[in-house]
Amino acid sequence: MPHIDIDVKLDFKDVLLRPKRSTLKSRSEVDLTRSFAFRNSKQMYTGIPIIAANMDTVGTFEMAKVLCKFSLFTAVHKHYSLEQWKEFASQNPDCLEHLAASSGTGSSDFEQLEQILEAIPQVKYICLDVANGYSEHFVEFVKDVRKCFPKHTIMAGNVVTGEMVEELILSGADIIKVGIGPGSVCTTRKKTGVGYPQLSAVMECADAAHGLKGHIISVRPKGRGCQTSGLSAVHGSFDRGGSGLLGSCQLEVGSWDIAERAWEIHAVPTVLLTLQDGGCSCPGDVAKAFGAGADFVMLGGMLAGHSESGGELIERDGKKYKLFYGMSSEIAMKKYAGGVADYRASEGKTVQVPFKGDVEHTIRDILGGIRSTCTYVGAAKLKELSRRTTFIRVTQQVNPIFSDVS
Amino acid sequence: MPRIDADLKLDFKDVLLRPKRSSLKSRSEVDLERTFTFRNSKQTYSGIPIIVANMDTVGTFDMAVVMSQHSMFTAIHKHYTLDDWKLFAANHPECLQHVAVSSGSGKNDLEKMSSILEAIPQVKFICLDVANGLFGTFCGIRETRRAKFPEHTIMAGNVVTGEMVEELILSGADIIKVGVGPGSVCTTRTKTGVGYPQLSAVIECADSAHGLKGHIISDGGCTCPGDVAKAFGGGADFVMLGGMFSGHTECAGELIERNGQKLKLFYGMSSDTAMKKHVGGVAEYRASEGKTVEVPYKGDVENTILDILGGLRSTCTYVGAAKLKELSRRTTFIRVTQQHSTLFS
Repeated sequence: MPHIDIDVKLDFKDVLLRPKRSTLKSRSEVDLTRSFAFRNSKQMYTGIPIIAANMDTVGTFEMAKVLCKFSLFTAVHKHYSLEQWKEFASQNPDCLEHLAASSGTGSSDFEQLEQILEAIPQVKYICLDVANGYSEHFVEFVKDVRKCFPKHTIMAGNVVTGEMVEELILSGADIIKVGIGPGSVCTTRKKTGVGYPQLSAVMECADAAHGLKGHIISVRPKGRGCQTSGLSAVHGSFDRGGSGLLGSCQLEVGSWDIAERAWEIHAVPTVLLTLQDGGCSCPGDVAKAFGAGADFVMLGGMLAGHSESGGELIERDGKKYKLFYGMSSEIAMKKYAGGVADYRASEGKTVQVPFKGDVEHTIRDILGGIRSTCTYVGAAKLKELSRRTTFIRVTQQVNPIFSDVS
Repeated sequence: MPRIDADLKLDFKDVLLRPKRSSLKSRSEVDLERTFTFRNSKQTYSGIPIIVANMDTVGTFDMAVVMSQHSMFTAIHKHYTLDDWKLFAANHPECLQHVAVSSGSGKNDLEKMSSILEAIPQVKFICLDVANGLFGTFCGIRETRRAKFPEHTIMAGNVVTGEMVEELILSGADIIKVGVGPGSVCTTRTKTGVGYPQLSAVIECADSAHGLKGHIISDGGCTCPGDVAKAFGGGADFVMLGGMFSGHTECAGELIERNGQKLKLFYGMSSDTAMKKHVGGVAEYRASEGKTVEVPYKGDVENTILDILGGLRSTCTYVGAAKLKELSRRTTFIRVTQQHSTLFS
């Protein structure tokens, strides 16, 4: 008999962030930079925790050059040669701290990774990618990589559940990529029926990741704080706006105060991070991912279609397009593996996205959106966003009246 | 007072499969073949348990030839003549273990089926499809059994509840077809308001059938390889597909070309089109309960087969099932409100 989990799992589109009283005067006061100390590599990182995905249409050197100016991060795709890496490193030494080199679990991938990291010691991040992060084989691979590179920070994934996050962290990974099938060009859910709604996955995985080091901060907004209304008096200025009228809201306030106190008590550097991959289709989704507890957010589709994205610019009927495709799509498999093997189905699609110009505008749009989110919920720093987050469940996100026009 | 069942019943679109730890290295290691021994016929069957529906657009001999190369099954529609069958059997003897003869409950149908089974003894499966209710199905099963086919494996349906599954098995059927109204060209739900969400039907019926050592087919409602995986995950022994196999070279009917687009006809077996073709029109006392659609031409069915089997293998590696047989034991469904990203759809 199959087992059915009765709780409904949530996607970004199922929630909105509840506004809260805020003392911030302008969104320019919001600090989006975060500093992390990683659990296994013991390295520190400071930057805005948004990452360009290691897809060959997005994770390009051109993208990295622009993103590092904003102290954003790029997971460079694995198809650049050692020579291309060397050339890039010599011309752009400033970018290297904001880059990861990628590898799959194949031995040729790994050899190339070794060569790159040896030749360019300033690259301190490794992004390990496998379609199915649940295979024992992958766990072993992460352990091996950790042995070879004790001081590099390892991102590994993808998974969607807490127990696997714990296993990968204990095997040597620092940052766990969360998400199966939410990506815009990923068809895994259609082809296999496997997947997990991204917001719930982030909340559950963040909880597991942060919990391994003894943090008890939970971003779940309800059900904890019934005995703590006294605490909200202690944090008198914090977030009581509008809530005095409704008992249930006061419960929420109480629970946030508990979180706040727990944070103060356990004020050690954040050590375990969840990295959240795919499924974001607008800046609001990025904000929701951070609100749900993601330490990093990885973007694919939102960064596709720019001058800095890989692939040719196509012109059709006077409109400009760029190609964007999933890394398990037929086109990617043909390009890199000589075709789709008989025993497997392609699990990605290929789309032509309208050309959007320079990525700089999109970055400003995303960062502006997150700053605005932070002011709405009263978070002076990105770090506070998840503690200030109350998600409300909704059935409609936006007013669709002009959606045809755009 | 009507009674309302408060439990929420689920469709394929309401769930996803939760990935689980897996020791499989590659999806090529997954074994999709299953072996069954049927309760009443005592026959044994081995193959990949996916069945082409006995609709006259998809359940064709041409389809059976391709399916049997992948050890998949075809329920041949009931409109071929005895001579058509004899010709097919002579040209493609290797296919015969992977096909079923279909019949309704009418006297003519049953007689034709008998003559086919007598002429071609290698065909061991009977697919009984009765539109006019379960009483007809029972009669069909009893008559078939009594009439000299005790050792043929009988597929019968369609039902959606556990107690009906049990009754059909006890009256002599081996494999019960589960599904009322989920099909892509079935309009029973809009015309009658009757139906049952397919995933819940499969889960409940599989439980009843397996308790009696019977088997079930999930019939209808699959729109993509992921749905096929969910049906197996829910406990279906076989999955029957109509719409997903429509529009291919091997399907019956002409290739239509309109505005530079190639199309093929696909229709439900209770649709106007089918009734006009085979019965001479829709009887006045009944409404047509199927629709007719033109589906884009998809080329050879081989590609679709590889896509479905590849998807299923991938599912099995995600949940750690080395064999299709283990899939339902390894399945945890989670409830969702959205299946996949709509950013580029």
